[in-house]
Amino acid sequence: MSLLEIKNAKLKLDDKDILKGLSLSVSKGEVHAIMGPNGSGKSTLSYMLAGREGYELESGEVFLEGQSLSNMEADERARSGLFLAFQYPVELPGVGGMSFLREAVNSRRKFLGEEELDHLAFVKESRKVASKMFVKDEMLKRAVNVGFSGGEKKRFEILQMAMLKPKVSILDETDSGLDVDALKIVSDGVNAQRNDDNAIVVITHYQRLLDYIVPDFVHILSDGSIIKSGGPELALEVEKNGYAGLINAA
Amino acid sequence: MLHNVRDNYIISVKDHVSQFEEKSFRKLASNDFKSWPSPREETWRLSRLGVLSRKEITPIKPNFKKQISSVSKFKGSKIIRFVDGALREDLSSKLPPGSSLNILGEEDSLICFHKFKNSNLKNHPSTNVSFSCTPSIVKLTIEKDVKITDLFEIIYEGGDNNLSVHPALYIELKDNSSITIIERFNHLSSLIMPLQLVELKKNASMNSLKIFNDNQQSYNLSANCTFLSEKSNYNSFSLIKGGLFTRSETHAYLTGENCNLNLNGVYLSSKNQHHDLTTAIYHDVPNCTSKQIVRGVLGGKATGVFQGKVRVALDAQKTDGQQMSRAILLSENAIANAKPELEIYADDVICAHGATVGEIDDEQLFYLKSRGISEKNAKQILITAFLRDIINESVEKSIQNFVFEEAELALSEIISKEI
Ligand SMILES: Nc1ncnc2c1ncn2[C@@H]1O[C@H](COP(=O)(O)OP(=O)(O)OP(=O)(O)O)[C@@H](O)[C@H]1O
Ligand SMILES: [Mg+2]
Repeated sequence: MSLLEIKNAKLKLDDKDILKGLSLSVSKGEVHAIMGPNGSGKSTLSYMLAGREGYELESGEVFLEGQSLSNMEADERARSGLFLAFQYPVELPGVGGMSFLREAVNSRRKFLGEEELDHLAFVKESRKVASKMFVKDEMLKRAVNVGFSGGEKKRFEILQMAMLKPKVSILDETDSGLDVDALKIVSDGVNAQRNDDNAIVVITHYQRLLDYIVPDFVHILSDGSIIKSGGPELALEVEKNGYAGLINAA
Repeated sequence: MLHNVRDNYIISVKDHVSQFEEKSFRKLASNDFKSWPSPREETWRLSRLGVLSRKEITPIKPNFKKQISSVSKFKGSKIIRFVDGALREDLSSKLPPGSSLNILGEEDSLICFHKFKNSNLKNHPSTNVSFSCTPSIVKLTIEKDVKITDLFEIIYEGGDNNLSVHPALYIELKDNSSITIIERFNHLSSLIMPLQLVELKKNASMNSLKIFNDNQQSYNLSANCTFLSEKSNYNSFSLIKGGLFTRSETHAYLTGENCNLNLNGVYLSSKNQHHDLTTAIYHDVPNCTSKQIVRGVLGGKATGVFQGKVRVALDAQKTDGQQMSRAILLSENAIANAKPELEIYADDVICAHGATVGEIDDEQLFYLKSRGISEKNAKQILITAFLRDIINESVEKSIQNFVFEEAELALSEIISKEI
């Protein structure tokens, strides 16, 4: 059984067709990369999966571990093990990083039937994860994403992923805005979480990321559907020749 | 002739002052109270007093034996109590050296009256009515160079159904003095008309926190007139949560160079409450700064109003004036109005303003939900943060938690009904 199954997804935004029959099947232990031109619908796909309001499917269906997501709101999906690392993480003035993380982690733990972490246990756990991501404690004390640099925001997204231990993670351009060292740190953070029970979908424009997070499959998303799938070599082809040849061939 | 009920209160105010002699400031004031402001007057358009004119209200005669019900919220604070609008020295603390409380005599009262009448609060109903009916004008003086480290807590209570109360306080901070004053309005009266005159002399500094929490049927029409001299600093925060109709109107005159004003506020409104923060800031001289952040959270059928006038006179070059207001509506039947009004005559100034009214930001809400946090919790987190943010920015660290807890009480009332 696939961990994540997208079946012929169609979605309109403002009466405009954005996803035009997209299918994708992701199994446990796999890493999938999605590449595609600007505006092809990658972030739309990620919002649709995460359950953002206004991004409901017109037709088609999505299953997480065999369970349909169509009647689940964003928070339920997240508690069930879906995680989206945002292309543009949202600033939350006045919301402290630590209490935000704790609320999120405990929501997920409650769902899994695990005991909620008390303040002390939580601080310990988050410090441990933060140090692996080279996120300073001081950053967790600040308001979520407020005044963070582009790279810090992305790191904080992956830190959340590490804390939440999701089944399926969708990383929307987590590499953009990262310097070389940060790219390595973030990739190491992601790789550390790969296991036989979960799966990761990385959306990226750059082959470079895929040198660090090596995918099992690469998909080309163009104009709302996947026009070609292959192995890591497909990313190299895109890097070399761009999308035009692939799109014309499709 | 038909009995005109609309004149009842005016008649009872005149009755009240008839005992005083002809040249008294009370007579002068009552002569100017001819009617309630009409909704055609621009500053009263959004906060109408029509209902008030049809109520049977008379000015209170203070009961100096009345039992008090509000307790102090701060250990070790210096307490000043007003009951039924009158200073109760027997229930107030002994003040620290360099500070004093006095009841003004006729002459000084007249001076205080004229200061109000020379300001743009001259036609405010509380100016005319409270100068007519106040038991006395109380003056708090902080002497030159005195830095008061004790917290001053002024508690206003008393009043009753169908009665109006009229506390009048004149605060003077002499050169280089400083103080933090918390005022809590806990009346049980139909109508409350507090007057406050604040004068900050050279290099004086005052933190002012006002919490409006009168009972659910009351109208509070507070009128505050503040004068800032050279290098003085006035940092004021108002939390409006009580009453049926609470309007806090403050006019601040920046009359000396290099002074600094913060005039922030929050209103938390539910049911059929009407809350209004009206401010006017007059930059009359160069090199001063003023900053205003106003936030509101509304549920039920509540209405909120923020009117913020900033006038920068021709000579007031290098003025820095900032104003931001934001209201969050949690119910479809709640209404918030924001009316910034900038009159800028000088050319070398930085003035910015922004006003938004709307729902909780859906991007922020989605971000929280995408982390597994339920919609209800997510909303609560965001609104709480919205208030935390401004409270931390506006009030001294030592009282931030107190203010936040005061706000949270009203907030949970709103939230429990709406989300
Ligand atoms: N609310 C909306 N209404 C109408 N069209 C929208 C709306 N939001 C996005 N779009 C359009 O949907 C298309 C897909 O956008 P999306 O953000 O999914 O692209 P993307 O593949 O993530 O692009 P990029 O690589 O630049 O991040 C774009 O053409 C965009 O303009
Ligand atoms: Mg995108």
